[in-house]
Amino acid sequence: MAEVRLTDIRKRFGALEIIKGVDLSIEAGEFVVFVGPSGCGKSTLLRMIAGLEDISSGELTIGGTVMNDVDPSKRGIAMVFQSYALYPHMTVRENMGFALKFAGMAKGEVDARVNDAARILELEPLLDRKPKALSGGQRQRVAIGRAIVRNPLVFLFDEPLSNLDAELRVHMRVEIAKLHKELKSTIIYVTHDQVEAMTLADKIVVLRSGVVEQVGAPLKLYDDPSNTFVAGFIGSPRMNFLKAHIASLTDKNATVSLTSQPDVRLTLPIAAPSVAVGDVVTLGVRPEHFLGQGKGDADVKVKVDVAEHLGNTSYVYAHVSDEERIIIEHGDVRDIASRETLTVAIAASRSFLFDKNGNRLR
Amino acid sequence: MNVSRRATTVLQYAFLGTAAFLSIFPFIWMAISSTNKSIDIISGRTGIGDAFGTNVANFFSQVDVPLVFWNSTKLAVLATLLTIVVSSLAGYGFEMFRSKARDRIYALVLLTLMVPFAALMIPLFMMMARSGLINTHIAIMLPTIASAFIIFYFRQSTKAFQTELRDAAKVDGLKEWQIFLYIYVPVMRSTYAAAFVIVFMTNWNNYLWPLIVLQSNETKTITLVVSSLASAYYPDYGVVMIGTILATLPTLLVFFVMQRQFVQGMLGSVK
Ligand SMILES: Nc1ncnc2c1ncn2[C@@H]1O[C@H](COP(=O)(O)OP(=O)(O)O)[C@@H](O)[C@H]1O
Ligand SMILES: [Mg+2]
Repeated sequence: MAEVRLTDIRKRFGALEIIKGVDLSIEAGEFVVFVGPSGCGKSTLLRMIAGLEDISSGELTIGGTVMNDVDPSKRGIAMVFQSYALYPHMTVRENMGFALKFAGMAKGEVDARVNDAARILELEPLLDRKPKALSGGQRQRVAIGRAIVRNPLVFLFDEPLSNLDAELRVHMRVEIAKLHKELKSTIIYVTHDQVEAMTLADKIVVLRSGVVEQVGAPLKLYDDPSNTFVAGFIGSPRMNFLKAHIASLTDKNATVSLTSQPDVRLTLPIAAPSVAVGDVVTLGVRPEHFLGQGKGDADVKVKVDVAEHLGNTSYVYAHVSDEERIIIEHGDVRDIASRETLTVAIAASRSFLFDKNGNRLR
Repeated sequence: MNVSRRATTVLQYAFLGTAAFLSIFPFIWMAISSTNKSIDIISGRTGIGDAFGTNVANFFSQVDVPLVFWNSTKLAVLATLLTIVVSSLAGYGFEMFRSKARDRIYALVLLTLMVPFAALMIPLFMMMARSGLINTHIAIMLPTIASAFIIFYFRQSTKAFQTELRDAAKVDGLKEWQIFLYIYVPVMRSTYAAAFVIVFMTNWNNYLWPLIVLQSNETKTITLVVSSLASAYYPDYGVVMIGTILATLPTLLVFFVMQRQFVQGMLGSVK
């Protein structure tokens, strides 16, 4: 268990900058998730912490020690790879004990540690099998076991669940959460799946094109996103964005009206107005935050395209205007599919306002 | 549908049968001929004769069999091992290490595949002569060790080697050479087996270059000896057939022992 600090970390491949100055503090014992779309640099950042990629500039410390140029095996980290990367020619037992044996640990001690980890992960019956003879979920557990036996300061996971089917993914997600409770170790976990991020993380780091967009607890990011990117990325189905403009301003509030339906007006509190009347803004409303007609601060009429009834809830796919398609989560009404139009209400307190660059106005 | 399927099957068997027969026929003919007297072979006899014992005795009296086999084996095994070590290291390096010059150097290596050996023969011979290596086995091995084809083969196969295995090994504390030795080599063993079969056969059957370089009887290999028997003024074909059988056996042996690994390696499967 150790804290990890990144100070202005940058990575260049040739002339191309992939990681563009990341500052991050990860506390000891924290479960941190790097999330972001594919290609945004999550793996690269993780591999820089692991020592598998050189750090072009900036400083990395683990447990207070500068690790920029330290060999991966001496950083106190263990890594679980997306492809599991089990040595195919070794049994499960040999795979798990390999690093320890290689570091010169006595055989008795290696066996004890491997047996311990095998017990925690319920791998005991599989210890003498080769990886080839294991299912995806079992390989995954072996990969985790290989990390555990090394008793690292920091665990690094790179999309460890993305090769599993949906059901197993949920199961392993719970297993990993339990493991973190049990081991209390620092974990850095990379995923492009916001559900994994929301359910596992103490702290989420949202990345886009090598830049940290926002850092915070899962619910903090959900309740208070700082820009349209984070707002759209966290939450499922994703937040609806409606085009609007500022109709009037006071020193505490802004009243916006929808561009497609100008008579729909909503007044939101904003502290330091950096906008002027007439400015184009974006109004964000999560699908689950629409209310029944008349129950909010403004009613919006939408045309229904399709409705999906999942039993516990329903999703209505609709459009406000030709360009603006939205999703509404609607728990109560079961006959939406037969309707042409629907009127739903928006509450000012559950709406978000963003300027034309996508930054939050609050 | 049933009829056309059966017709397809018949065609397939006919085709494969013909191909198999064409491949095996020379071996059968060689085996039959080895039991006949030279004069009968020339007159076209196709039955099994009774001269096998005489032919074997004649061959052993004309050829220093242990010496010739020792020369061939030593050359083939050593050259094969060296080729595989050097070429697999090169293939691994070309695939694993990114650099700007990599693809240009690799293109150059592949370019050497386009140069026919005949064009290299004379310059090579002069190089060997200047280095005083004529009539040595080193001169035979040196030009074959860095084989562009085997480098190409290893690089292609290395594409199936998960790079994350290398990363995992680095996290486990292995140095680059240890990753190669303890992870890459065992994981790629069928590729090595296939390369071994190919390179061993090429070296064992190597004829033209040894013919030029090896000039004394003490250094000659079985291929050279058999061919010199066959090109004598009055060749004894029965004896020649004994020689070709003996020259073929080791390659057959290597092939059959490693057949399964060979096929796997050619399919490029990393197990
Ligand atoms: N060795 C490399 N050389 C050049 N570009 C690379 C290299 N590794 C990764 N990249 C680029 O860096 C970007 C981020 O990659 P990566 O960290 O794997 O993204 P993520 O894991 O978020 O999907 C990608 O655009 C990728 O093409
Ligand atoms: Mg990745």
